[in-house]
Amino acid sequence: MEDTDKSLVEAHCRGDRKAFAELVRRHGASVLGYLTKISGSRDSAEDLFQETFIRVHEKAHTLRGKNFRPWLFRVATNTAMDGLRRRQRLKMVSLNETLDSEGGEQAELTCAVGTDGCEPCQDAVMSEHRGKVRRAIDLLPKRQRATLVLAYYQQLTYREVAQVLGCSLGTVKIQMYRALHTLAARLPEIGGDLQ
Amino acid sequence: MTRHLTERELIEYQFELASATAAQRLAEHLADCPQCSEQLERLKRKYAALELLREEVDVPESLISRVIEQAGQAPERRVVSYRRSAWIGAAAAVLLMGSLLLISNLSRIPKAGHDLRSKQNGRTGGMNLVDTGPAVVKAVPGQPEKTVGKSGAKVAVAGATVSWQPIAEKPPFAPASAIELVVLPKRENVQLTIYNSAFRSFPSPKLPPANVQQQPVGYGGYGGRYGNAPVATQTGPLKTAVSDLTLVREKRHLTLKRGWNWLQFAWANTLIDPTSLQLEPLQQKDKISIEQLVFPSRLRELGRWLIRSEVSGQVPFEITYFTTGVTWRAFYMGTLARNEKTMRLQGYVRLTNNSGEDYKKAQTRLIVGRVHILDEVAQLAQRQYPYDAPAGYGLNANEPLTRLGLGGYGGSAYGGGGYGGAWGPTDGDILFSRPKEVMKEGLSEYFLYTIEGTETIPNQWSKRLQSFEVDDINVTSLYKYDQQRFGRQTIRYLSFANDKDHNLGDTPMPDGSVKIYARADSNGLLSYVGAATIKYIPVGEEIELNLGAARLVGVEPTLMNFETDNYVFDDDKNISGWDEIRTWKIEITNTRPLPVDIEIMRGFDTNYWSVQADVDYSRYDVTHIRFKLTVQPRTKRTFNYTVTTYQGVRQEQINQ
Repeated sequence: MEDTDKSLVEAHCRGDRKAFAELVRRHGASVLGYLTKISGSRDSAEDLFQETFIRVHEKAHTLRGKNFRPWLFRVATNTAMDGLRRRQRLKMVSLNETLDSEGGEQAELTCAVGTDGCEPCQDAVMSEHRGKVRRAIDLLPKRQRATLVLAYYQQLTYREVAQVLGCSLGTVKIQMYRALHTLAARLPEIGGDLQ
Repeated sequence: MTRHLTERELIEYQFELASATAAQRLAEHLADCPQCSEQLERLKRKYAALELLREEVDVPESLISRVIEQAGQAPERRVVSYRRSAWIGAAAAVLLMGSLLLISNLSRIPKAGHDLRSKQNGRTGGMNLVDTGPAVVKAVPGQPEKTVGKSGAKVAVAGATVSWQPIAEKPPFAPASAIELVVLPKRENVQLTIYNSAFRSFPSPKLPPANVQQQPVGYGGYGGRYGNAPVATQTGPLKTAVSDLTLVREKRHLTLKRGWNWLQFAWANTLIDPTSLQLEPLQQKDKISIEQLVFPSRLRELGRWLIRSEVSGQVPFEITYFTTGVTWRAFYMGTLARNEKTMRLQGYVRLTNNSGEDYKKAQTRLIVGRVHILDEVAQLAQRQYPYDAPAGYGLNANEPLTRLGLGGYGGSAYGGGGYGGAWGPTDGDILFSRPKEVMKEGLSEYFLYTIEGTETIPNQWSKRLQSFEVDDINVTSLYKYDQQRFGRQTIRYLSFANDKDHNLGDTPMPDGSVKIYARADSNGLLSYVGAATIKYIPVGEEIELNLGAARLVGVEPTLMNFETDNYVFDDDKNISGWDEIRTWKIEITNTRPLPVDIEIMRGFDTNYWSVQADVDYSRYDVTHIRFKLTVQPRTKRTFNYTVTTYQGVRQEQINQ
């Protein structure tokens, strides 16, 4: 897999546009998922997604034999951090905010109610839990959030996370522990049947 | 391990944060300790909630395509390391080369011959002057349009043919880009005819969509004189309660080549109505025809005329268009004499330019009177391409868009307003030791004010000009007390007439604000009396200014007595009519050093009444009487009146 990534990157550096397209398709889902969790908004994530891959396109020649996936997430992280900083400065309010957060849950709830074969009540509760988890993660400090998302959701090893975040392995573990410790108090209790 | 595991240890174990040896130790403990195992299970259940967000993310194909497309457009940037000294050296070399090239180019400018660059007006980069001889006419090589200063309306000409050949039947395609268009002919002179004085705020000139709030804009002819002035940044809502309208006629010398020519006109950041653009040659009219005006797609705020010319060389053209944002308003200052019997009145006109365009040395004319306009020119100017009818236009779609309902235009598109008038004298003709005169002349039911000489009105500037100054206008001060209209305040009115008896009456007076001052002492110091706004005052009409509450003149009505009388009973011994008799005392206080005339209005709530008073009164209407009195300086005057109002059948008895 990694070899293939490397060969694709090399092909892209040689000017093969298809190679870059393949890279986007291959890693797009995980990068978009990561950015969605980091930014807390699908719209922002899509913007960051584009910016990330533009940077990848421009900077691919600097990869120089490094593993592509951690490097990709490092680019995504830097892009996201820049984006979040910008957003904090600008204090933008999304017009789709309701759809992204509460409204989104509401939409999911509405869908659940209308779905045949599902328990509407159960789906509604799950939707509510999902919202709580999302908010709990959103409330984490940026570094802790990035560590958790990379290690837990993107299933990078802690060493790869350290590469992505540009810090030591110990720091990553500390960040991860702090994130989990904080989440322990904020995550909702889920009943056994819902699990 | 003798103790139970802490939560931290359990988290570290569960999420593999512990070192290998520590993890081994923790695993051994958990194998032997059901309590800790249970804690671990509880922890797992807790963190199981995280799984709710583990979802498959679908990347929309459109997003992927967008990324790939953008990546394809993005230039590949590579970091090139450089040594500082080498970089400085390279920069110096570039500067040196540039200087050498500039010098060599300057030395190659022709001094005479068939291909001359116009040096008129001191602009070396101006129009290309091409003589009309049979020799080959060379087009100036395509050079990028240079915008100096404000990016207001600007024009450029592109030649289409370069040789003395029969003119092609079919017109050429429009230039693909502005690069083919050359130079910016200077605006020779400009005439503004401003309709509709306005008390209102103006719409913001269109701003570029980017987050640039200020940018140098301007038109080439001015050589950057106003280049550093910022574009208006105001972004407030349109308030077009009163439409303003300005007809701009500008004369420019364009250099045409024999054949087809494109003339480009751009109006970025201005409030010009593009559909009102007109181009007319002032000479050689039989040899030059304006074929069409096109608004190129994808190019905003830009139009191109296609001109067929049978001559080469400079031809004066007139470009006319409507714009908004140039407004004028009148205001007046009145100074009362010490006895307040006469007044000196000064009229002013303030021109304001918020159109986004500088007008240098513009002959300025103002139309006094309200011109009815069907379209809001501001709206027309702010339409997006294609320039279709504004919303709610309500006319036939085939109707030309430039049809504006100009009441006094005398039938022609731009007639009436002195369109055909000669250009006025320039600034240089005017002796600046005296204020400029505002000449007035009648124009149907409107009036035309022409400001003497020319005026330079940069964008975002306003200019005040004196319209007239008249001394010894007889005025009448009158104080009015009308509880129903003004409450318990006495209101001061000042009246005069716009006629010969009052040393006025030459022209109508445009609507505007009037501020009245009084001479406070013999040194000419003034005290503020009050202000009012006036509507358009035709010649011969009286003006009554409401100057607001007068604190030094007071009126105090007091009800002194109330009784009923003359009861009438019906057959059932019930009351069917009676009289109410009220006695009022009116006390007037004048603390001013001048005698005052005062008018006191008293009203009743019935039509059936009779009054007995100490002083004369007049019946104002069916329910009101009016007392007119003069109160001497610093005195009080009191009078009484008794009003009897008739109720019920008493009203019929009184009428009989």
